[in-house]
Amino acid sequence: MRLLRDLGRRKLRSGLTITGIMIGIMALVVFGSMANKISTLVAGGSSYYKDKVVVSATGGTMGTGGPMALANGDQVARVDGVDVVAADVSMLLTDSVVGVTMGTPPTIQGSIAGADKGRETFQIHYASGRELTPQDEGKDVVVLGSDLARKDNVKVGDTYMLRGEPFQVVGILEPTLTSPDNEAMVPMAAGQRLYLKTLPPLVAASLKASELATGFVVYLKPGADPATVKQGIESAVPGVTAMTGADFDQQIGATTSMLNSILVGIGLISLVVGGLSVINTMAMAVAERTREIGIKRAIGASRWRIRREIVAESALVGLVGGLLGLALGALIVTLGNEAGRSSATILFELTPWTAASSVGFATILGALAGLVPAWHASGLDPVSALRYE
Amino acid sequence: MALLEGRNLRKTYKLGRNNTVLALKGLDVDVEAGEMVAIMGPSGSGKSTLMHILGLLHAPDPNHGPAPALTLGGENVGLLSDAARTTIRARRMGFVFQDFNLVPTLTALENVLLACEYAGVPGKAARAAALETLGLVGLAERAAHKPSELSGGEQQRVAIARALVNRPELILADEPTGNLDSERSAEILALLRSCNREHGQTIVLVTHDAEVGEACDRIVRMRDGRILDAGLAMDAQAPARMSAQPSAAPSVAGA
Repeated sequence: MRLLRDLGRRKLRSGLTITGIMIGIMALVVFGSMANKISTLVAGGSSYYKDKVVVSATGGTMGTGGPMALANGDQVARVDGVDVVAADVSMLLTDSVVGVTMGTPPTIQGSIAGADKGRETFQIHYASGRELTPQDEGKDVVVLGSDLARKDNVKVGDTYMLRGEPFQVVGILEPTLTSPDNEAMVPMAAGQRLYLKTLPPLVAASLKASELATGFVVYLKPGADPATVKQGIESAVPGVTAMTGADFDQQIGATTSMLNSILVGIGLISLVVGGLSVINTMAMAVAERTREIGIKRAIGASRWRIRREIVAESALVGLVGGLLGLALGALIVTLGNEAGRSSATILFELTPWTAASSVGFATILGALAGLVPAWHASGLDPVSALRYE
Repeated sequence: MALLEGRNLRKTYKLGRNNTVLALKGLDVDVEAGEMVAIMGPSGSGKSTLMHILGLLHAPDPNHGPAPALTLGGENVGLLSDAARTTIRARRMGFVFQDFNLVPTLTALENVLLACEYAGVPGKAARAAALETLGLVGLAERAAHKPSELSGGEQQRVAIARALVNRPELILADEPTGNLDSERSAEILALLRSCNREHGQTIVLVTHDAEVGEACDRIVRMRDGRILDAGLAMDAQAPARMSAQPSAAPSVAGA
């Protein structure tokens, strides 16, 4: 192709310019994939919280709250608009939360099988084994999320240690791309027992395992307003906070969308820098080809044709840089996810849209960058250009 | 009626803030179809400027006095827009320059094809015409070579092929032998003459070289932006001069 030969006139210069775009696109792809992953996690959480209210002890962080009495659940059940209340106990899988994990840290969830009375809409699929049943109550069995299982290469039937106690694996979940991937689910009694172990000795001494809960998942009656139910619960039961889907969206949504913007913003800025380098390169190319442009205009090339040539060449620079940047970014994303597997962390989600739009964006950027030099080239007086030394 | 008629052609160039050059001072010129005309004169006489105006690269100045006129084949082309002049240059004119001026990244064939592209000739027809024209100038086997692989004489022949390929009404050549040694110059001149004699191609050339001038049908002599002598009086002597030329049959092979 003639365009490729034009690029090849100054191989080093073209190469450097393409590299600039490549780096910008690589950044956009990597950061965009990170942003995708965050969005997916948030979307998962958002849909989970949409139709329910989650009650926990005031002051705890999500999923690892202070102890409440199991009996509080009955108080909650009496609040107007409440249909079903399911108690659960949750705690961190290990006390050391190493580094920054994307999403929630690994947790142990103790719950009563069937307590939701079929109201839970969040779909959980099993890759192998089975779910927990009421018959499991009192036994030390566990269902593992996909990331936890993959991290230690666990299969159904294996023994899995939870806080120093052996549990038998009876089921492993399919990936959900959100928090269940990092959860170990156990029957209520086992959860309560493990939870008691995590409390400071003085506090633990005054509590009975069988009376403990750290959270209540409240399913609403049809037509009930979550905000009203939330208020009812918080006034009926002292020391608890109820969170609705709207609260979740507000808390998490705001932070993550800001994080998304920062990430993508970084990618875009590096791309703008790459674009400037394309403008510079094309301007130099036009200057060097002044005589040639003069000739072409003299023998009948229209101004539009000259412009088209320059813009096509700069668009090609963008396209090649974009494809290379995508390849490099995809490589980093794949390696990053592989490295993260061992700590049950998937950081990146490279979607076809991210890939296609990155390359498209690079091409358009290249074309736009070529516009100013192209306009200048087409405006040259053929006679003066012909004589240019 | 002349193929190309110019009346009251005037051209001023601004070289700096207070520095303007009056290159053409209102001259009249005619070129008949089938003629081979040389324009000669000392530096600064305005011959290149006249060439540029005849070639529609620049428009003549709109005058304070009598209006300028430039017609090509009867059509008024003097004050057309840049886009319109470009189209005419592409389809109805061919240009040959002193410095050959081929595109370095394109082969000889592709250089010739450029002219077809700009004239809007479609792919297959263009290719056939280009190959034929390269054959005409004796470079059919060198069609796939880039300018860097061709000698000066060969490059100029490619340039001539490029100028010829669309069978233009007029070919304008600015010092076509200026960068060639005497042998190559003679070959190029012979090629141009053969195009003129055998194919009736109208050619206007600017030259310093007296030999080149004498090979033409007439010489237009310029000085200080005016025509001194339109060379019409030489017509009667032209046939005699022609037969005195050493090689009547042009050989175009080998450079």
